[in-house]
Amino acid sequence: MGTRERERECRLCAVTFFAKLHPGDVCGSNGLPLTPNSIAILGRAQKLKELQDEHLCQYLDVIRGKHERTIVVSEYLGLSLEDYAMRHPPLAIAQILRIFYQVACGINVLSRHHLVAHNVEPKHILLSSDGQRVKLFNYGLHHMTKGGAYVPFPIGNIRYMAPERLLGLNGNVKSDVWSLALVMVELILQIELWPKLKLSNVVRKILAFGKSNGALEKIAREHQCHERYVQMDQRLRQLLESCLSVLPKRRPLPGELLEHPIFEEVLLDLKKQKMQPLSPETEHLPLLLRCPLSQIYHLWQLAGGDVQAELKKEGLIRSEAPILGLPQIVRLSGASVCPGRSQAQLMDDRVVPLRLKALLQRLSGLPAAVYFPLLHSPRFPAHFARELQELPLVIREKDIEYQFQRVRLFARLLQGYPHTAEQLQREAAVDVPPLLRGPIWAALLEVVPNGSYAKIDKFTSTSTDRQIEVDIPRCHQYDELLSSPDGHRKLRRLLKAWVTAHPQYVYWQGLDSLTAPFLYLNFNNEELAFLSLFKFIPKYLQWFFLKDNSAVIKEYLSKFSQLTAFHEPLLAQHLASISFIPELFAIPWFLTMFSHVFPLHKILHLWDKLMLGDSSYPLFIGIAILRQLRSTLLTSGFNECILLFSDLPDIVMDGCVLESQKMYEATPKSITHRQHALRLQPPQALDIGVADVELKHLQQEQCPRISAKDVQFLLDNSPAELALIDLRSVVEFGRVHVPHSINIPFATVQLGEQRLEALQVPQLEAQLRGKIVVCVSNIHQHSVEFSHFLVACGVQRTCILHKGFNVLHSIEPNILISN
Amino acid sequence: MATTPRSGGASGTGTAQRPNGTSQNKSCQFKLVLLGESAVGKSSLVLRFVKGQFHEYQESTIGAAFLTQTICIEDTVVKFEIWDTAGQERYHSLAPMYYRGAQAAIVVYDIQNQDSFQRAKTWVKELHKQASPNIVIALAGNKADLSNIRVVEFDEAKQYAEENGLLFMETSAKTGMNVNDIFLAIAKKLPKNDGANNQGTSIRPTGTETNRPTNNCCK
Repeated sequence: MGTRERERECRLCAVTFFAKLHPGDVCGSNGLPLTPNSIAILGRAQKLKELQDEHLCQYLDVIRGKHERTIVVSEYLGLSLEDYAMRHPPLAIAQILRIFYQVACGINVLSRHHLVAHNVEPKHILLSSDGQRVKLFNYGLHHMTKGGAYVPFPIGNIRYMAPERLLGLNGNVKSDVWSLALVMVELILQIELWPKLKLSNVVRKILAFGKSNGALEKIAREHQCHERYVQMDQRLRQLLESCLSVLPKRRPLPGELLEHPIFEEVLLDLKKQKMQPLSPETEHLPLLLRCPLSQIYHLWQLAGGDVQAELKKEGLIRSEAPILGLPQIVRLSGASVCPGRSQAQLMDDRVVPLRLKALLQRLSGLPAAVYFPLLHSPRFPAHFARELQELPLVIREKDIEYQFQRVRLFARLLQGYPHTAEQLQREAAVDVPPLLRGPIWAALLEVVPNGSYAKIDKFTSTSTDRQIEVDIPRCHQYDELLSSPDGHRKLRRLLKAWVTAHPQYVYWQGLDSLTAPFLYLNFNNEELAFLSLFKFIPKYLQWFFLKDNSAVIKEYLSKFSQLTAFHEPLLAQHLASISFIPELFAIPWFLTMFSHVFPLHKILHLWDKLMLGDSSYPLFIGIAILRQLRSTLLTSGFNECILLFSDLPDIVMDGCVLESQKMYEATPKSITHRQHALRLQPPQALDIGVADVELKHLQQEQCPRISAKDVQFLLDNSPAELALIDLRSVVEFGRVHVPHSINIPFATVQLGEQRLEALQVPQLEAQLRGKIVVCVSNIHQHSVEFSHFLVACGVQRTCILHKGFNVLHSIEPNILISN
Repeated sequence: MATTPRSGGASGTGTAQRPNGTSQNKSCQFKLVLLGESAVGKSSLVLRFVKGQFHEYQESTIGAAFLTQTICIEDTVVKFEIWDTAGQERYHSLAPMYYRGAQAAIVVYDIQNQDSFQRAKTWVKELHKQASPNIVIALAGNKADLSNIRVVEFDEAKQYAEENGLLFMETSAKTGMNVNDIFLAIAKKLPKNDGANNQGTSIRPTGTETNRPTNNCCK
């Protein structure tokens, strides 16, 4: 029971090593510092996290520590072959063949992904405690270290290395076949290879195989096992001999190995096993341990799991007195001479289990329904953790029970996408679980992978390449993934693909920042990253990337100014008075949807909300930022304002998101009308027509226009939120007017004194507070001038009725009354 | 009296100038604009000057950034108001908003990059044509710390600068070489009479010789 318990509990583990240090003061050809090798390793390791196969231990995480320490978290199974063989000597031939077959399956999967292990040895072959299931472990070290180039130690155990590897050849999967065969030979002959020889002599032995054939027989003789060699099944002996051919081309490929007739019985056994009903072991497995490992690891961290702390506990991470690292000789030119690193610190291959007991206890009280949310049964709504949704987002993101429920729910919704699109949108409005953010955003953007990315030419040189090349090493380089060589290559491909796919557009600086969040979230799925970007840009940045985008930008910024006047009239008034126009500070905001001005972790939260809104949403984010800086801006002149934005202070993202959401919901849609916006439906009667409002109108009118349709909607649904100021004469007002509107004949007002009281309308300020204030006239200029007056008086939500009073006659049913 | 409509957003910056200080020493404010190809180090140059910092992975500039720095030269306090512009050609149409009314400009190129030197020449021509007639222009060959892989020869750039009446220095934002010096050189060359900069363009003091050759046209 102890062993079984230990196996169920210990399914995650960590190993650690140091990456190679660069010599000091060396830089690349572009003048930038060389990328730390551990960052390069981190980038390359991401590909391994996508490998999932029943014969490979899954990679879950790679963590960088100090001084180039690299920590790898992966799946662990039962015990190593080394340990298993010690407990069950000797292994039966049938058992050995099962192991042989399953490891070959693992190597074959690697081969299909153009990977090699190059460190196959008994420690890296794991068996379940009953010996039935076999997985390859730590097979990614060669790939993530670029064949060992990034680390100061060789990859692989010398004893099991093929001859060509000792001669420096890397990357041939048949080298793994040799290693696997040697491991099997040890089991069959019941020996340990050259246990007393020094490594240099082992190397000599292996290289000497090149002088003649018959490596297998030689090994048997050297270990006094020739009798077992002779008694071996002839087919097995021939197979092993071909695997141990000195020339790689004579060895079988893993796929060929698997088809060998000697494995027929193994195959039958494995098939029989799969067709059996759930084994008692699986039946008793806690529900949590049947979840995907990536979810288990994520929850383990939320439950307080700390990989580095576990390694420290086991003594694999030891701090050294800093004085011991001081240089011994400092030269005026050239590198300093530092004491060498202790050899023991470079590679310690001990495996540290990450125990799941705390996580299991933490979640043991959850009902089974949380694991399997019922999406299509309204009678069983998922009310679990509903009360937690009132908590701040940063707390919810750290709460393990809440995140568990959200991850399980969204995993189901994503499996059902696109049919679950509506429900997914509703749930995303509550919050987005960080673990699944990439696929969730893709779903919100209506991405459906279609293979188109693979067909786009990303490699032909273009005139844009030079600009992309200098922008990539400056794009969010504080992030380890984006600054890795793999990150750079992926970003380059994505940018080139986007530019190639849009011949009508050009690369503008800022496109790199826009792409970065999608790459960060979909690092192993370039297609999803590309299609997300592909959908995102027309939704929020329609026509922004035209070669001449000046009309689009001017319109956008003019609308931003109008909306600022709508929501923050005094601030808008002040900024205009000091000529602090948005062109001076807001272009980086809107051209990159704030991804150039905020760090990634803030962008992720901001875009969680952005994805749920339409193309006008970013404008409200901009106003929310201004609102947060309001008190400083109102007391500043031009220079202080521009300095404030050039060195943007810390914006509280939660507040920014909440404010922008409120403004977005409180603003009638037509207020945000732009000619160049992406249109989801054609305009209807009473809407503002596509070409009705030209740029010059936006620039001359401080306040936005509202459509008759929106006015009608407000009158019908929430008249208390509307204050309509009728500027026509008393006679006209008496003839026909909107009920409850306020008549202030334009001809009678004096606008020189910028106080509402000057209008001598009783209780006017109270009547306008908190409402959408619509200026209506038959003479458009009157509405414009009066709206300017209201803004100067600090009246919020002032707008102008598009097409003037006469448009109201067109509304049916009739909304107008007479005295 | 009706409120006047808001002026068109696309017009010039209309930079507000603060009154000069009342201290014994004279004080002046000058608007200075940085121009040049992308990634030649414009932002690093101004960051070194204003904050004494250098970031290996300085982020690209989109639109423009604004910084100020005050220096003391002889008995005059000089405040630079610096616009650091985006270098990509796409952003070219925004540049007049920043250099119009500027008293000084630093045109930056990368000594490793011949194209950036050509681009710098284009900027100089544009400034001569469209900026203030008395604008003081400095040519900066940046990344001088990488002189072992230089492409643009010092003498070639120096000759071009002399022919066009420009100040010229090779600089390194990374090491700080000549960074303060180029701003000091500009400050020395700018007229510093009281109130001059309040007019938006400098007024040449009486009797000051023109610093530029009469024939600047590029044929």
